[in-house]
Amino acid sequence: MTTPDPQPSLVTLDVNGRLATLTLNRPEARNALSIALLDALHATLDQLASSPGVSVLVVTGAGKSFCAGMDLKAVLGDPDAPLQLLSKLADACLKLRALPMVAVAKVNGAAIGGGCGLTCVCDLSITHADSKMGFPEVDLGVCPAVVAPWLVRKIGAGKARRVLLQGGLLTGQQAFEMGIVDQAVASAADLDAAVASVTDRLTKGGPAALAATKGLLNRLDGSLDATLARQGAEISARVLETPEAQAMLRERR
Amino acid sequence: MISVEPIGNVAALRLDRAEKRNALTPTMLASLRGAIDRATAADCILLSGVGEVFCAGFDLKLCQGDPAMLPALLRALAECITALRDSPCPVVVSAHGAAIAGGCALLAPADVIVTNAEARVGYPVVLLGISPAVNTPFLRSLIGDGPTRTRSLDPGLVSGTHALRIGLAHECVPTVAECEPRALELATQLALKPRYALRATRAWLRTLAPLDHATDALHASLSLCGSPEETGLLAALWNKETTK
Repeated sequence: MTTPDPQPSLVTLDVNGRLATLTLNRPEARNALSIALLDALHATLDQLASSPGVSVLVVTGAGKSFCAGMDLKAVLGDPDAPLQLLSKLADACLKLRALPMVAVAKVNGAAIGGGCGLTCVCDLSITHADSKMGFPEVDLGVCPAVVAPWLVRKIGAGKARRVLLQGGLLTGQQAFEMGIVDQAVASAADLDAAVASVTDRLTKGGPAALAATKGLLNRLDGSLDATLARQGAEISARVLETPEAQAMLRERR
Repeated sequence: MISVEPIGNVAALRLDRAEKRNALTPTMLASLRGAIDRATAADCILLSGVGEVFCAGFDLKLCQGDPAMLPALLRALAECITALRDSPCPVVVSAHGAAIAGGCALLAPADVIVTNAEARVGYPVVLLGISPAVNTPFLRSLIGDGPTRTRSLDPGLVSGTHALRIGLAHECVPTVAECEPRALELATQLALKPRYALRATRAWLRTLAPLDHATDALHASLSLCGSPEETGLLAALWNKETTK
């Protein structure tokens, strides 16, 4: 009798000196954010919060996608699950932002909805010109209220109004032009080198100086406002309950 | 002086005084305010202007010999931009040709602004001793603190291309003629999106970019009305116009 393989971890963490890499690891579902994946993400972020030797964190996705967004189909039909899922994302965003190390999103492929939101929570983000990014929530009858504060902090309220109300998807290059990502290399093959170049530079910085600077920036833009984050989760969950959203999501299933 | 045309589920509101480059009067602003309030059943508002120019600002000729006129214009403008911000449905503006002073203020509460490359955009009113303070809280929520400071203090006008760079426009088309059609296209796309989600998202974005000091801002602009500086600079403007 063989013992089944243990369940692969939905989030992996690899620490190499001052550099850590967190990987969303659900490639068969394009790393969509399920309740189980968000629980694993929380555990990993807690571990990072007490890893004083790490000064730079790369956040990326296993396989071809960075993160396809919230796994909303999985919570349809359970009245309590949407708020639970959205609150876990809102809290994970706060935890990621509060980490003392500099977080770099390595956007290896599609980063959509909540996935694109996670890239905005990171301090820097790098993608390739052909990746798919954006916030198509309104097209699905859903309100991107959890990720909206992070996009507003990243690109400003005026540009965020257009991006979130217009929905749809952008190429990595377009996302770069709008300021949603900080760098878009020409092709996926160039991404590793571009990220390594940035992380090499960052790891040379004094960890205390980086942490103090990041802490101040978080205070200046109100990043750690937990009330606002949870209000976003409640608004999103409320809109998700409307017949308009339910019908559109079932149609897509 | 305001034309209202339903185009599908878009309410197209146009400043309709092309012979005066759509210069704003208190009556026009009151009509615009009413049209905005009545457009809440639409799925999107398109704000535009008839002719080659979106809006040249206040019709300052009305202020000649009437000290009550400028305060009336400022109050009516504040009501319009507040109504646009508070509208439940998204707002798209065609800022073609020129969006100057009060005309530029109408851009600040919009969700999508389309302009053309050669358009002239800005707030030259300090040259007349008038403060654009009334609009600054709204402008901050569109373009952020740095550009708001520059554009409110520097009376120079910028091109549509520059407006795009600083976030005062979201799209910049090559010519005036392409501006309103593109704005209508974007408004039509927005109007087709799920209504509840779109309105909830717009309301949440308003919460995320709160207006600070809007009343103080209006009072800052009002406080200069009738000052020797403003009276003198406006009188100089009339003299210049007369000797033209």
